[in-house]
Amino acid sequence: MSRQDNAAGSVKARADLALNDEFLRKAVRFTTERLRRGKKEAAEEQGSWEEWRERGRQIRLHTIAHLDYYLNLFADNARANGVHVHFAETSAEAVKISLEIAQQKAAKTVLKSKSMVTEELHINDALQAIGVEAIESDLGEYIIQLAGESPSHIIIPAIHRNRFQIAELLSEDAGMPLPPDTSILAGYVRKKLREHFLEADIGMTGCNFAIAETGSMVLFENEGNARMVTTLPKTQITLMGMERIIPSWADLEVMATLLPRSATGQKLTVYMSGITGPRRSEDADGPDEMHIIIVDNGRSNQLGDPELQELLSCIRCGACLNACPVYRHIGGHAYGGPYSGPIGAVLKPALQKNVAEWDDIANASSLCGACYEACPVKIPLHDMLVYLRRRKVDAGFGDKAEAAGMKGFAAAMGSAKRMKLAVKAGRLAQKLVARDGGIRIRLGPLKGWNTYRVAPILAKRSFREQWRELEHELQAELKEQKPDVQARMERAIREREAGKGGIGHD
Amino acid sequence: MTEAVTHAEWLAQKERESRVKQEAFLKGISSRLGRQRSMTPPPHPFKGAPDFWNVMDYDVEHRMTAFVDQFSAAGGHAVRFPDMEAAAVFIAERAIQLKARRLVRQDQPELAALDLEKRLAEHASVTAWNTDSGTAWKTAAAEADIGIVLADYAVAHTGSVVALSAAHKGRSVSLLPAALFVLLPAQRIRTRLGEVLAEFDRSGRAGLPAGIHFISGPSRSSDIENDLTIGVHGPGLVYALLVDAFVPADRMREGGGR
Amino acid sequence: MKVSLFITCLNDAFFPKVGEAMVRLLARYGIRLQFPELQTCCGQPAYNSGYWAEARTSAITILEAFEDSDFVIAPSGSCTYMIHHYEALFKDNPLLLDKALKLKQKTYEFTQFLVQVVGITNMGAVFPHKVTYHPSCHGSRLLGARQEPMDLLANVRGLELVPLPYAEDCCGFGGTFAVKMAPISGAMVSEKVDHVIETEAEVLVGLDMACLMNIAGHLRYRDEPVRVMHLAELLYEGVRGA
Repeated sequence: MSRQDNAAGSVKARADLALNDEFLRKAVRFTTERLRRGKKEAAEEQGSWEEWRERGRQIRLHTIAHLDYYLNLFADNARANGVHVHFAETSAEAVKISLEIAQQKAAKTVLKSKSMVTEELHINDALQAIGVEAIESDLGEYIIQLAGESPSHIIIPAIHRNRFQIAELLSEDAGMPLPPDTSILAGYVRKKLREHFLEADIGMTGCNFAIAETGSMVLFENEGNARMVTTLPKTQITLMGMERIIPSWADLEVMATLLPRSATGQKLTVYMSGITGPRRSEDADGPDEMHIIIVDNGRSNQLGDPELQELLSCIRCGACLNACPVYRHIGGHAYGGPYSGPIGAVLKPALQKNVAEWDDIANASSLCGACYEACPVKIPLHDMLVYLRRRKVDAGFGDKAEAAGMKGFAAAMGSAKRMKLAVKAGRLAQKLVARDGGIRIRLGPLKGWNTYRVAPILAKRSFREQWRELEHELQAELKEQKPDVQARMERAIREREAGKGGIGHD
Repeated sequence: MTEAVTHAEWLAQKERESRVKQEAFLKGISSRLGRQRSMTPPPHPFKGAPDFWNVMDYDVEHRMTAFVDQFSAAGGHAVRFPDMEAAAVFIAERAIQLKARRLVRQDQPELAALDLEKRLAEHASVTAWNTDSGTAWKTAAAEADIGIVLADYAVAHTGSVVALSAAHKGRSVSLLPAALFVLLPAQRIRTRLGEVLAEFDRSGRAGLPAGIHFISGPSRSSDIENDLTIGVHGPGLVYALLVDAFVPADRMREGGGR
Repeated sequence: MKVSLFITCLNDAFFPKVGEAMVRLLARYGIRLQFPELQTCCGQPAYNSGYWAEARTSAITILEAFEDSDFVIAPSGSCTYMIHHYEALFKDNPLLLDKALKLKQKTYEFTQFLVQVVGITNMGAVFPHKVTYHPSCHGSRLLGARQEPMDLLANVRGLELVPLPYAEDCCGFGGTFAVKMAPISGAMVSEKVDHVIETEAEVLVGLDMACLMNIAGHLRYRDEPVRVMHLAELLYEGVRGA
């Protein structure tokens, strides 16, 4: 299996492939559209969505600002519950601990429920390498595992495949033809996985939230597979990003209000499970042994970084993907990592310390801000993309032609006089290429633009060249200012001076 | 696996390593945050839901109707009964209609008092969870057609029932059978999610069961072309049976008991 | 009281009519717009691409040009919002930071100034055409100029406003994004134009010429005869015709 294959090359190259895939675009558009609509309705229904968002943001900011305290509290409480807690700074460490546990338990199969952290670790390949079979139990994850792919959406991993392709994959798995009927296909997976659930040696999960005050872990899901993974196998391994913490169960109400609504438009997922330690000795189900591996893997890069620390507030709901027009056009695989969409475009470089290895992912955004608007904890992803672009430029890894262009920009825009000259020069140059008040040639910097558009031409006279004349004409046109207009404008100035920003100002 | 080292020894070794690592890990975090390790609880002014939300409180009747609406909207079935006897009659009838062969129920006196064993004597076997140590209980639950559970709480606003695990209350009973029947005493329904979650903060770490499960309808997935499918891994048919006049076990004069 | 026009470089060089319309419209209410000639570009192209040193060079002309203005009015939500970014841009220079924060407080997008400050929603314009409106992302999402253009359009006599499907979707401009990620940008603008055509409107109106230039460029590429205008132009044409 080569899950990393689709990560090769530039974002632009991967996006081109996706843009040529008509089905992919339609499928992604259809699904994200539905999720987006669902979220909007659910948010409106809840009332005062902005208050919930602000509360969610505050709780996440608070927890991250005191992460050492809460993580310590969580670890101590989890141990008191009988959990074996491990800390892993790198993905390699997290994998090593997981493999050791599997070997200790002489495990043959590990049954997994959906977990984005394990995607970061490529744990399935690692388990495979020591002869342990890793089986994904989430329906979408099971499908893409058969296809040898990585998820292309945080919430709907197989969003890029249609039922015919899925039927083909599952037919091969079943060794008999299955019709492209959703309920039949899902029924097949249910039956097939049932056997695994009862036989698997280890259940492996991610963690949506970890409650510091009681050492509990919380999972949100709709299928029931995460419950099975935490109920049936004798050993449970939970991999948890170190920022998944919230202080208390009271805080969970806010996360439970924000997460399902933002992800799928549900008031609550079908199952919300709080697991506090392995089974009690007298219980007849639940794991005998439970491990929680707390993973850093680049997250601490963002701690203490005022521009990016808020990234750790992310609750992995996928709302920014559904809102993102770029994601809708290129799909998740074009991002070349486990996380896609706006959050992926920021996380991928942010998790990676070495700026030299950043690809052009942060450029794949028009900075429209739809992600920020959709985010239930108000992470300013559009601003972060700009910060990442700046860091790359500052570190000397910017595009050479662009850097030269920007030098020219600064030279022209550094003074009004030079700007005027530049516009004049442009006007001369465009004479060579302008036809019918537009420019169609596809050369130099106009290539990208004019492949899809006709470029406008510079005006015969710029505004500043007309200004004197216009100002003169206006003297005749200018009416007397009405007292109420004057009064309103004066009030605006007073309010501004009193510290009230007024409209459009915070 | 090294033969010289037992599993318990290995775990102990790992714990020692983990505690050392924990110090370094947390010190790394605090130094990144630009300060010493924080050892005292920080003031947390934004705890829990916003104030406007916390004043929302439905009366019992409103809680019932809101629960029924929401649970039904999620694809569950919610039916109201005057008492446990009426609910018992309904369960028995439905079990027969569904041609259920095996039922598994939590081992609670209130559920024993439903007397399903007798009501279904000629149709199906009814087993109470974890009543002997010889049975493979997880397999038994997986083989059952219907699981029967008594809800510990419910939330009207989200349409959720809450099942807490215990020796006599298996997590598998609400999960593995194809159909799930949850008996829900009306007085156990709260208005908001936060009211139930507050119970867990109150009971604290030591008072929590291993499994706390909020269930808000049948198992579902939209993973194939965003087409909704019911009953993917968990029960596809879920009934919430709301009981107006419910008598808890400690006030029952007679009845099954354990 | 000094009310200044922040023309923005794009409108200055390509669409001077937008500035003229603003100036003439406001003159009708006794508001005399000044044009400080020191201004060049807000610096957004460089800022968004990560070239902050270059962005500062350009932004300083804006800080200086409007230092003694009481109000600064721009025909672009995006360039207006760029001034909010000056806080980050000049955070290490207390002197310029102070100027930046003051400028942010007094700078307004055109329709927000009209509706919220001056209190005008009905300019007495007549425009008997079928019109659709594209809300540009920065103006509507980041500045919150959502209701203002709606109020102004609702009061134009004879104007039939057709809602644009998926109006809130970005048109794909994004500054250098349109060049660097041309195929993605092209796909986005093509979808936007599909929606514009779906409305069968004669006129597409908006508050940001950058986005409108993008959409107009693709409309022209497809030979679609939809007229594209800034709201200031539409209103000015409307009051002249009234």
